[in-house]
Amino acid sequence: MSYTDAFFYFFAALTVGSALVVTFSRSVIYAAFALLFTFLGVAGLYVLLQADFLAVAQIMVYVGGILILLLFGVMLTTRVTNAEITTGTVQGLPATVVVGILLGTLILLVSRATWNVQESLPDVTGTTTEIGERLLTTFLLPFEIAGILLLVAIMGAAMIARSTDKTKEAA
Amino acid sequence: MIPISHYLILSAVMFTIGCAGVLTRRNAIIIFMCIELMLNSVNLTFVAFSAYLGDSAGQIIVFFVMAVAAAEAAVGLAIVLALFRNKKSVDINDVNILKW
Amino acid sequence: MQQLLQDTLATAPLGVTILLSLVVILLHSFVKNSERAQAMVSVAGLAIAAAAAFWTFPMRGTAFSGMVMTGGYASAMSVLFIAGAALTILLARDYLGKIGADFGEFHILVLLAVTGMMAFASGLDLIVTFIGLEVMSVCLYVLAGMTRGRLEANEASLKYFLLGAFATGFFLYGIALIYGAAGTTNLAAIAQSASARAQDPLFLAGCGLLLVGFAFKVGAVPFHMWVPDVYEGAPSVVTGFMSTAAKASAFAAFMLVFIAKFDIAHGRISLALAMLSVASMVLGNVVAISQTSIKRMLAYSSIAHAGYMLIGLAAGTPAAISGVLFYLLSYLFTNIGAFGVVSIIENEKQENVSIESFAGLGTRRPLLGALMSLFLFSLVGLPPLSGFFGKYYIFYAAIAEGYTWLTIVGVLTSMISIYYYLRVVVVMYFRSDTDATAVPVTTLGTASLLLSAAGVLVFGFFPRLITDIADTLF
Repeated sequence: MSYTDAFFYFFAALTVGSALVVTFSRSVIYAAFALLFTFLGVAGLYVLLQADFLAVAQIMVYVGGILILLLFGVMLTTRVTNAEITTGTVQGLPATVVVGILLGTLILLVSRATWNVQESLPDVTGTTTEIGERLLTTFLLPFEIAGILLLVAIMGAAMIARSTDKTKEAA
Repeated sequence: MIPISHYLILSAVMFTIGCAGVLTRRNAIIIFMCIELMLNSVNLTFVAFSAYLGDSAGQIIVFFVMAVAAAEAAVGLAIVLALFRNKKSVDINDVNILKW
Repeated sequence: MQQLLQDTLATAPLGVTILLSLVVILLHSFVKNSERAQAMVSVAGLAIAAAAAFWTFPMRGTAFSGMVMTGGYASAMSVLFIAGAALTILLARDYLGKIGADFGEFHILVLLAVTGMMAFASGLDLIVTFIGLEVMSVCLYVLAGMTRGRLEANEASLKYFLLGAFATGFFLYGIALIYGAAGTTNLAAIAQSASARAQDPLFLAGCGLLLVGFAFKVGAVPFHMWVPDVYEGAPSVVTGFMSTAAKASAFAAFMLVFIAKFDIAHGRISLALAMLSVASMVLGNVVAISQTSIKRMLAYSSIAHAGYMLIGLAAGTPAAISGVLFYLLSYLFTNIGAFGVVSIIENEKQENVSIESFAGLGTRRPLLGALMSLFLFSLVGLPPLSGFFGKYYIFYAAIAEGYTWLTIVGVLTSMISIYYYLRVVVVMYFRSDTDATAVPVTTLGTASLLLSAAGVLVFGFFPRLITDIADTLF
């Protein structure tokens, strides 16, 4: 086993283990911190897949942005000092069945499928230039629409989260 | 050399874990975290295919997914906050005026 | 540079709508209390966008390196979304003032949702389809919860958001598997090699997951659980917009990806579509009978109508597609009208939406009563209203394709629907009103209702106006 293989199994274990904690932990705070390790594990896997730029973006966007936002959400919506912060689960049995079927099908598919892909990864020295060029040429339109999406998100979030007292003031 | 199927099985497992969380958890914020898990597993699938196909389009798609995830996070948390302000709870079982 | 200019001109409806929303944002930011002006600017700008859509209609082709479709189908669908948005904005003027939610953001979000719908319905690359879908959905999550002090609205918006984001996960996983199997996300390139891939389990699984995502967005059984709650909890004019324009764009993208020009699954999904269709028609119509709230009743009826349209998708012939397009147009005018009447009957607290509150409307407010009856008759599918021809074209095309059993289910469930639609008409005309709450007169709202009614009547009497165009879209 080469050292990249060892890294793969390490990151895979980190990702799956912390994902399990996110899903099954009774504490919202623990779940949020476990999510941090999932994001880091995925970033590590991106590095193994030679997506260096994406790995950095993953850490900046998910860890630096989305996770912080989630933590704000947790802090603002739970009274941290009391026991309310733990949460239970519902509908265990039907969920187990659905999830079991889904997992079985997906793994069966992946192991059965034939891949028309190369056997080894090509040596690339960096993906940033190519990604940047294609984003502003071939993918120009989705890039612009993604800009609109972010505009919508900013406006929408501000509109919904504004306190209700100002409702009358604004109207 | 890790074969591509390892990455795909890993992301299938992650996707199902996230899916299980969405179906079983009651806290709206945890449900949202599980959705983020699902999106991350999809991203991993895209990057794995992108690397093994030698095509950078998959990585570019992941950028768009990240933008979408960020937008959804902002709007989703705003919605959760608005609900919490009126109801003092983010448990989806408490949210049942309209029959869940 | 030349190419970029050409592409921008060919996608003019999209560009005009984006510019328009920026103008409205500036108006909202710098001019105090300009909500009325914003609404007027929005409607005027949408008229320009519609003109741009007519102008680009002959420019059939692709733009932005094969990312979107231009002209033909894309232009026709743009006109549909623009009409829905304009009617909604007109209806919303007095309604939003009444419920104390007269926010300028409403217009901006409706306009941006229209841009999302246009991208969603004309994307020739699954990435554009996906981003367009998200722009539309995020706008709708916010619009559903815009009356943020009201618990029902918070709840509707949270359910819509969580289930919508969950469906997005499936949609994306489908795209990822298709990308892995085909090596590209471009529909034309996928379609070229699709027949070679007809047995590839990965490709089929990708199509299946994508199908789940679409079924969720159009509200087909068994992915319909969000529909009644969201339609009931959201402000009525927003519900009208969601149930028509948003559903139309989901169907338009559905047809573009799976059926119309780029048949990526080569007819393998038609049985699955038929199953979804039967489940939606039966469940929607049966459950609608027992509803007491008119908004929930219309929500279940909307599930049933998605079922009728899925018959057309299952048949999948060009005739069926033009039938579905006709149905979408007819449903747009009819349902915006029906929810518009509901929004006028509602009181300040957004109550008064039980079927009983329509008692005596026919004598109290003859015009509103007559309009509501017209919309309900069109939903039933009585000739010569447009709802009848929508069903007729779809059923006819389905029989030609050998889906006679599906058509029989469609006709039988339509019979059931007569009961619950006509019950409202009976309550309006043959029940005296219990509480005589004054229903306010709204000029713009009534104008919008009259326009919708005109649509229902004109396309009912002259269906060829639309079908002639619908046959030449590709």
